[in-house]
Amino acid sequence: MKVELTVNDKKFSVEIEPGEMLLETLRKLGYKSVKHACSTASCGACTVQLDGKAVLSCTTFTAAADGHEIKTVEAFSENGKLSPIQQAILEEGGSQCGFCIPGLVVTAENLLDENPDPTKEEILDNLKGNLCRCTGYESQTRAILKAAKERREK
Amino acid sequence: MLNVKEYVKPNKVEEAYEIGQMPNAFYVSGGLMVAQLKISKVEHLIDLKSLGYEGIEDQGKEIKIGANTKISALMSDKILLLYGQPFRDALKEIGSMQIRNMATVGGSIAFKLGWSDLTTIFMTLNSKVEFYDGSFRKESLEAYLVGNHKGAIITSLYVPKPSGFWAFEKFSKSTFDIATLNLGIKIDIQGKKIKDARIVVGSRPMISERQEEVENFLIGKELNQMIDKVGDQIEKIVKCGTDIRASAEYRKALSKALLTKAMRRVEDESRVNGQR
Amino acid sequence: MSGKVFTEEKMNVVNTSVEKVDGKALIQGKPVFTDDFDIPNSLIVKILRSPHAHAIISSIDTTSAQKIEGVACIFTYKDVPRIVYTRAGQGYPEPSPYDTFVLDRKVRYVGDAVAIVAAETEQIAEAALKLIKVEYELLPAVLDYEHAMDDGAPIIHDESEISGAYDPRHNIAEHYEMKVGNVDEELKKCDFVVDQTYYTPNQSHAMMEPHGAISYFDPNGRLTVITSTQVPFHARRILKRIFGVNCRVIKPRIGGGFGGKQALFVEPYVVAVTLKTGRPARCIYTREETMTASNTRHAMRFRVRVGAMRDGTLRAIDLWGLSNTGAYGEHALTVFMVSGSKTLPLYNKVKAVRFGGDVVYSNTEPAGAFRGYGAPQGMFGLDTALDELAREMKIDPIEFKLKNSIREGETSPVFKIMGEGREGVDEIIESCKIEECAVEGAKLFGWYEKIKRPRIDLKNRVAHGYGVAFAMQGSSIPMVDMGGATIKMNDDGTFNLLIGATDLGTGSDTILAQIAAEVLHTTVDKMIVYSSDTDMTPFDKGAYASSTTYVSGNAVKKAAEKMKEEILKAAAEVLMKSPNYLYLEDNCVVSGDGKKITFSELQTKLFYTFNQRQLQVTESFVSEVAPPPYLVSFVEIEIDLDTGKIRVIDFLDYIDCGVTINPILARGQVEGAVAQGIGMALFEDHIMDKNGRMVTNDFFTYKIPARGDIGSIDVRFAKSYEPSGPFGAKSVSEIGLDTPGPAIANAIFDAVGVRMRRLPIKSEELFFEMKKRGVI
Repeated sequence: MKVELTVNDKKFSVEIEPGEMLLETLRKLGYKSVKHACSTASCGACTVQLDGKAVLSCTTFTAAADGHEIKTVEAFSENGKLSPIQQAILEEGGSQCGFCIPGLVVTAENLLDENPDPTKEEILDNLKGNLCRCTGYESQTRAILKAAKERREK
Repeated sequence: MLNVKEYVKPNKVEEAYEIGQMPNAFYVSGGLMVAQLKISKVEHLIDLKSLGYEGIEDQGKEIKIGANTKISALMSDKILLLYGQPFRDALKEIGSMQIRNMATVGGSIAFKLGWSDLTTIFMTLNSKVEFYDGSFRKESLEAYLVGNHKGAIITSLYVPKPSGFWAFEKFSKSTFDIATLNLGIKIDIQGKKIKDARIVVGSRPMISERQEEVENFLIGKELNQMIDKVGDQIEKIVKCGTDIRASAEYRKALSKALLTKAMRRVEDESRVNGQR
Repeated sequence: MSGKVFTEEKMNVVNTSVEKVDGKALIQGKPVFTDDFDIPNSLIVKILRSPHAHAIISSIDTTSAQKIEGVACIFTYKDVPRIVYTRAGQGYPEPSPYDTFVLDRKVRYVGDAVAIVAAETEQIAEAALKLIKVEYELLPAVLDYEHAMDDGAPIIHDESEISGAYDPRHNIAEHYEMKVGNVDEELKKCDFVVDQTYYTPNQSHAMMEPHGAISYFDPNGRLTVITSTQVPFHARRILKRIFGVNCRVIKPRIGGGFGGKQALFVEPYVVAVTLKTGRPARCIYTREETMTASNTRHAMRFRVRVGAMRDGTLRAIDLWGLSNTGAYGEHALTVFMVSGSKTLPLYNKVKAVRFGGDVVYSNTEPAGAFRGYGAPQGMFGLDTALDELAREMKIDPIEFKLKNSIREGETSPVFKIMGEGREGVDEIIESCKIEECAVEGAKLFGWYEKIKRPRIDLKNRVAHGYGVAFAMQGSSIPMVDMGGATIKMNDDGTFNLLIGATDLGTGSDTILAQIAAEVLHTTVDKMIVYSSDTDMTPFDKGAYASSTTYVSGNAVKKAAEKMKEEILKAAAEVLMKSPNYLYLEDNCVVSGDGKKITFSELQTKLFYTFNQRQLQVTESFVSEVAPPPYLVSFVEIEIDLDTGKIRVIDFLDYIDCGVTINPILARGQVEGAVAQGIGMALFEDHIMDKNGRMVTNDFFTYKIPARGDIGSIDVRFAKSYEPSGPFGAKSVSEIGLDTPGPAIANAIFDAVGVRMRRLPIKSEELFFEMKKRGVI
């Protein structure tokens, strides 16, 4: 079946299988940042924004996303200029192997859009669906607090 | 990828129901359940979101929540603010931000999964389910769970306007995890005595169930005198099972712990907020 | 270099938290991981796996599967080379049994490979898997490793080709023992003895990126393998052994490994397909496969006996263990030995020590390398037992452990006796700040005030407890681990740094660039790092044994120093000065009288107009010692008395890893290891059904610590300098995993007087223990 997707403001008309997941479709379209790490909705590495809300692409049918707007992490850095969240994660050492990072950035961007001044608790709570095995989370929390401040000051 | 023949988006519930009667047909609302259940034999996926049934309405005595309303929408809705912070805190226990952006009220209930936190929450609040199975019908959530409604499509949830005090507790191994046990309690107080009580225990690992014997134990008694007694009651009475997450015995002990915690919170709230 | 003096050299680049060289690519989600490469005309490879724990394939028929359109080829054990090998990524000759085949007629665990299918798409491959008809002759299985050596236990490895296993007929993959002095005699003389048995679990690495590999013939016909591996050079060698072909192995960015990628997994499958079809082949594991069909930590049981005199002197340590290596023996001996070699030397003042035991086969997922590599298992037993001893003697555990631990200038006989699967190397400790770690750490943590607090708070239904644990590790395996580095100068002022060292997210590309930049008086952005390509970079044994900073770092330093010499020599010719009169500064060569030439100008001249030559050096390094890092950890936990739930509130790691080349990256290594250690201590539990199938095979059922599960982790670095390390550095990557288990168990005892001797500590078990003992 054919679906219309807008990914990072770019329109695609794609032929898909009815049971295809958004993760697969996005990777086929070249958005390799969207990662396949678990497929039981348990880790958050596949997170993209659907109409501005963070969702798991491994358990979203592409057919359900037909006609909707999708944002992957590529949307947040234009021409190599990093968003405050991305810059802060880099500075605080919040990216080690980097595999969880695209999903984390997408979710964090959603969080700070909805809640520009989160407490540490709120950050831990709202990002709990993004597992990371490398960092022990501390550096990422520091980064998001830093980025939130930076975004507010802009 | 699921090997399915078709993914359809019907506009009317009758149409959706008709396709749903075909063998190997599966309803999709939030879509999460499909991945969780790892279904190998699905031929028709029926997306229910195109039916509408999304949104929250104040209908006077009760609040109507469309089945396709996302859990995240419940958390930010102004009407549901009536239920206070405990309601939002309870919803926050469910899944993750992403899961709450995807999971719908209907989807969370329809599959009758034992670990559904939402089911326990809404059963505690004495909710009714409206569903379509050839015609529109309405039932209490607890009746719906034990009934056989193969192929039925949940369209709305009706929740009475808040009264009394309530609390929800969830015990899980990790903070991002399904419940090893969850519990909800709602208490209406008149004078100093408990006039009405609803106690629901879920993820036993079986589906959420009212604990009527324990409720009856509380009725007519004073709240603060029951806090240290009711735990032993529920531990004796509640029916639990063993699975990879916990033994039945531990779950029973958890029921006691969670009920006692919930009762304490309810008691604190009743002292702070007075009677309702 | 001076031995014990902490040199306060002014560093420009080292000991600075420069941004990772791959940071921008990762943060933007650039396609840099194995599965991100699209290679046209690729076949998708899927593996048929055994549903049985122990069986012989009595017949396997692929005819129907082959008939499906789009199936390119199918291999069974009849179609692959019958060459026995070990999957372990270790130096050759590997100290692991050679007991593995690409495909075998026998399957030895649920998940063992039965057939390889290559098809045009994943769906076709999966459909083909379903049509392969296999008949199994079921064999009784050994599912409990504690019964692997029982009389009459089914023999798991009865193949004739097996070599290097100790006694396969009794399922003993390896046996080891050593002793110094007489432990039994010493224990008799002790005033206090603890004799207990401890268990650690078969933890899964749970790295975010599953295993995967792609193989293809490049346009010139060179077989190339892109793989998510920690050991590209070992992979190349083993593939040569199996298939008789030379190939190029490239490691791109990888999404974590932690030892779980220190072996050969997917590579033989894709290579078999590419060799047969000439086409590119890709095989990316599902999470389930990575969980159930790759490798886990060795589950171990240790009987620990420790004895001390009432004045707090530790006199004897006996560690006798049983390790479960699962269906295949990779890393069997070496992990087991590290349980002793990287724990016992810490308490070097004992009069007698004994270490030994067996590593057994069982019909469970093979065990392999996992960060800590035996030390977490050994240290759980040893440190907890010492804590038990201290408590019995009513001595503060910090005081007790510190009194008996090793100091600078000292040694331990264990260093010489125990190496990597063989004898080790004598070593005198040149840097050891364990006192600072213990004393300053205790101050920072507030240990002595905290332990005065009441533990049980009945009003709030919680208990608080405080625990401490000490650990050591190593920095590479001396006389074994080797790394090489090549530095090439370019005419634009940049350098190519070619290293075999394997960055698995650890940031080794970055810190190695820092080391080179420091020596050459340039900056990291002028170092173009390219790593882990067996055709293009010099050899490095790979990312394991906490060796990259120390060994690869020293190789890079050596190469940079040689390059510096070459630059000075060349500049001397150009400037017509003596090299002694010249020095490097800020990307230039400067002479005492102010004349200067930039690196760019110099190499430009050397390319085109002046005594033309390419300045390029290659150096290698192998260490004669493996200076251990040291760690003292402090933890505060809270126990919910009504549920037994244990929460980590505060975790402090005070660590001596020498100089930190990059403080933020070093800190990240420790924080990450602590989180994994908390996982091992409290969360990560594998459950098998009665047929040996792993039920906890995804992140839904196997819970690694999530964001809210770890409390707050604080890391402090002791002021330390290791003279043999590059700019004073030692290792930092593994040691953090050694302490959470014992620290948390000790804290639980401190809180409620219940001693848990099996990890992970489950809230249910603690709850019923507390009930049994009347705590609640």
